[in-house]
Amino acid sequence: MSQTPVLDALTRAGTGVPEPEPERVRHRFLFSPWHLVLIPVAVTMILPLVWMVVTSLQTLDETRHYPPTFWPSSLEFGNYSEVLTQAPFGRWFVNSLIVTVLVVLGNLLFCSLAGYAFARIRFFGREVVFVLLLITLMVPFQVIIIPEFLIVRSLGLIDSLGALILPNLAGAFGVFMLRQFFRTLPIELEEAARIDGCTRLGVLFKIVLPLSGPALATLAVITFLWTWNDFLWPLITIYSPEHMTLQLGLATFQGAHQTNTNLLMAANVMTVLPVLLLFLFAQRYFVRGIATSGLKG
Amino acid sequence: MADVELTRVTKRFPNGHVALDDLSLEVEDGEFLILVGPSGCGKTTALRLIAGLERCTTGSIRIGDRIVDDVSPRDRDIAMVFQNYALYPHMTVRRNLAFGLKQRHTPKPEIERRVREVSAILGLDELLTRRPAQLSGGQRQRVAMGRSLVREPAVFLLDEPLSNLDAKLRVQMRAELKRIHQRLGITTIYVTHDQVEAMTLGDRIVVMSAGCVQQIGRPQDVYRRPANLFVAGFIGSPAMNLLRGTASDGRITAGELVLDLAVGDREVAIGIRPESVVRDPAEGPAFDLDVEVVEPLGEQIVVHGTVAGTPVESGAEEETEIPLALEDRRAPVTAVLGPAAEPVPGDRVRLGIAPEKVHVFDLASGEAIG
Amino acid sequence: MAIGVRRALRSDHVAGWAFAFPAVALIVVFGLVPIVWSAVLSFQKSNLLAPPEWVGLANYRAFTKDPFFKESMIHAAIYTALFVPLSVTLGLLVAVALNRRIRGIRWYRTAVFVPVVVSTIATAIVFLWVFDPHFGLANWLLGKVGLGPFGFFESPDGALYSVVAMTVWGWIGFDVIIFLAALQGIPPELVEAAEIDGARTWGIFRNVTLPLLGPVTLFLVVWSSINALHLFDEVFLATNGGPGTSTLVPVLYLYKLAFLQGIAGYAAAIAYVLFAAILVLTVVQLLIGKRMVHYAS
Repeated sequence: MSQTPVLDALTRAGTGVPEPEPERVRHRFLFSPWHLVLIPVAVTMILPLVWMVVTSLQTLDETRHYPPTFWPSSLEFGNYSEVLTQAPFGRWFVNSLIVTVLVVLGNLLFCSLAGYAFARIRFFGREVVFVLLLITLMVPFQVIIIPEFLIVRSLGLIDSLGALILPNLAGAFGVFMLRQFFRTLPIELEEAARIDGCTRLGVLFKIVLPLSGPALATLAVITFLWTWNDFLWPLITIYSPEHMTLQLGLATFQGAHQTNTNLLMAANVMTVLPVLLLFLFAQRYFVRGIATSGLKG
Repeated sequence: MADVELTRVTKRFPNGHVALDDLSLEVEDGEFLILVGPSGCGKTTALRLIAGLERCTTGSIRIGDRIVDDVSPRDRDIAMVFQNYALYPHMTVRRNLAFGLKQRHTPKPEIERRVREVSAILGLDELLTRRPAQLSGGQRQRVAMGRSLVREPAVFLLDEPLSNLDAKLRVQMRAELKRIHQRLGITTIYVTHDQVEAMTLGDRIVVMSAGCVQQIGRPQDVYRRPANLFVAGFIGSPAMNLLRGTASDGRITAGELVLDLAVGDREVAIGIRPESVVRDPAEGPAFDLDVEVVEPLGEQIVVHGTVAGTPVESGAEEETEIPLALEDRRAPVTAVLGPAAEPVPGDRVRLGIAPEKVHVFDLASGEAIG
Repeated sequence: MAIGVRRALRSDHVAGWAFAFPAVALIVVFGLVPIVWSAVLSFQKSNLLAPPEWVGLANYRAFTKDPFFKESMIHAAIYTALFVPLSVTLGLLVAVALNRRIRGIRWYRTAVFVPVVVSTIATAIVFLWVFDPHFGLANWLLGKVGLGPFGFFESPDGALYSVVAMTVWGWIGFDVIIFLAALQGIPPELVEAAEIDGARTWGIFRNVTLPLLGPVTLFLVVWSSINALHLFDEVFLATNGGPGTSTLVPVLYLYKLAFLQGIAGYAAAIAYVLFAAILVLTVVQLLIGKRMVHYAS
């Protein structure tokens, strides 16, 4: 019996591994009427993105064309290099990458430690502190942004990547999620390890974490997605172009190039592409992560 | 009420596994038929094919006077009790019972009447307003049966309905089931892996293995005259003892045992049921049993030990059996004795067997001889 | 012996705190402290630069007379009332369609999930282009069926609805993922039993599938509502509250007040009022939901 039936179901949902169905249906395998429903849905989802790519390869005049042209007469890949000269996209990409990777690693480490403590170690004040953490989960972001800004400013971190990294190195969500997961593991394994001479830290790193692959991957993905796409917090704390994240930079680019639609679309494609590729490559973890972030409620 | 016939049914799954191989079976109208066998033998598949939840790869199924190969489950006039009961968790017991009738637009007074009747038969009256989550295992099982009975189906299908109950409840429910069948007389097809259930419940039992029928017959017939080694080893608890023997010159020699039976010259397996041996016989074929383990059970004592001879496997052994480390040329044997003079491990007991109670099987084919 | 036990217990306390400390410290500093500070701020007048002064309940009295605040709350209400039913219902329908075992189902599922991964900023930029009144894809397609042309983001009456359309596109995949997992979690025996009992496809859906989806649906309604009331990124980029103030939403208003106009105390008060509104709505939804939803054991 799986330890994580819900996570497994979500994984199946994400990877498209089909569930068993009554065999009668298989006779319509070659042409199922469901295709007639699914094709328009898929098209609606994908069409805006496809058109974004098409536009990114057009000349400025072509974008001004109405009715819109779908096939550009020439593939203006130059738009992309133009964008890179107009704005430090490379720099923004690197900034986002640094911030995201550090935040993900920080969460994995600190939330594992704390999650394990809350799950398995009886310590003074554990229940009270845990409730306090849950409270922070319930209070929405807009309530805390102003004071958080003031705190970060008093630490001298405004307009630096530190402002984006430090406050997010550990989140209550990660602690909560890993605590719940650790509790589903059979405690006998850890007890056997301790009898065999392992320290608490050793148990965590040698026994528990190796068994927590799916949960850690899920947390990594959620954190990655949330951090990479974050906009409001960088908007408040960063103002010099060389420290901007990709989303913030893209927004300023949009402000400056509102009428250069082809360049704007090229910039957009470049922003979307990395996450899209990562998603296609690791779809099952993304799906699990997205859904788990919801199931905590 | 209807009879059911499977004609040369084969079921092959997409992964290549053949669950049923050219199975033909007739179920008489009103009969309580049991499909019994180890897991993987195809009995549940056969049941699901009759229900219409799967389609035959080849072959045909008839219920009553209709060929139902292309008929969906809801139109086959069958009802099924699942191993996990499959009660609708969000509906009360009453709604669970009434659901099928509602779906068929049965008039309300008729629904009321049937629900009341079935509830009375199964003792569900106080549970009607509860939800499945609030019921015990035995209660849920009765609701599952009630849901099927309320539909007054032509055929009643049950898939290991008692396997999730504890031992005592199982015995109780077995009697219930028999009582209900006697009262209502619906054609019933029942799947189980427990041969005790099969023997006590069925009018006829079908012993299956690896997708094929091994033997069909009344429980007592199957017990007394198993058709092959598999059935011999499967039916009967404790299992039949099987020893290798050589038949020549009108005589069979198996270890110490010598039997005057003429079956031609060949290698055979002889089978002796633990309960058919007698202690310290005055005459007739006999052998010595070196006692290893004694299990006193009140009026009976089960004795495990070894005899001279070579054991034979029936194919019905549980995989979990630990192979005994035996000395060469000794075979494990189980005997069921009366309570007097309880033997002790290390004793040597003299046992005899009446020749007509010995089962003989051809060793090569496994088929029973004579 | 007793001393040894006490020592062991003490080390548990130490270990527990040692493990939990990094995460707890970060969450307290950047999560709990701001919650309290924000409450304090709401009773003050602050421009984020000079020291704040106490004004008691003035901020809370002010919002009853603030037309912008009222407008933003009305917009939030309209937006939520449209976004939640649309995304949850369509999400369910699409999930049902995707719960098939037909050829290519993996591609359909991927197509539906992709918009969730695209960032809010990139989504807004794409839709600014798709909804462009002069050269956009939307008007061209609608024209083909005899509708439009529409002003979308540039029309005071239509801007909010355009935001609804854009965000439903962006977030429906989330609902689909969760519904799909729930659908695949329904035990097949229940469906088989219903089939044998005589139910047809619609009967099975209405009497077995839908009730079992109750808890998940409730969760998605609550979750979507909370997120809807937090709307910021897409509106910031696509309309910045305009045209005029037709798409002004609470978090955007709050951001402008605190970080553009330096009226931080009042902004903090608004943040808490919004929080209270969300809390009330959530409680109401949960109460109604508890009555209507039967949790399977």
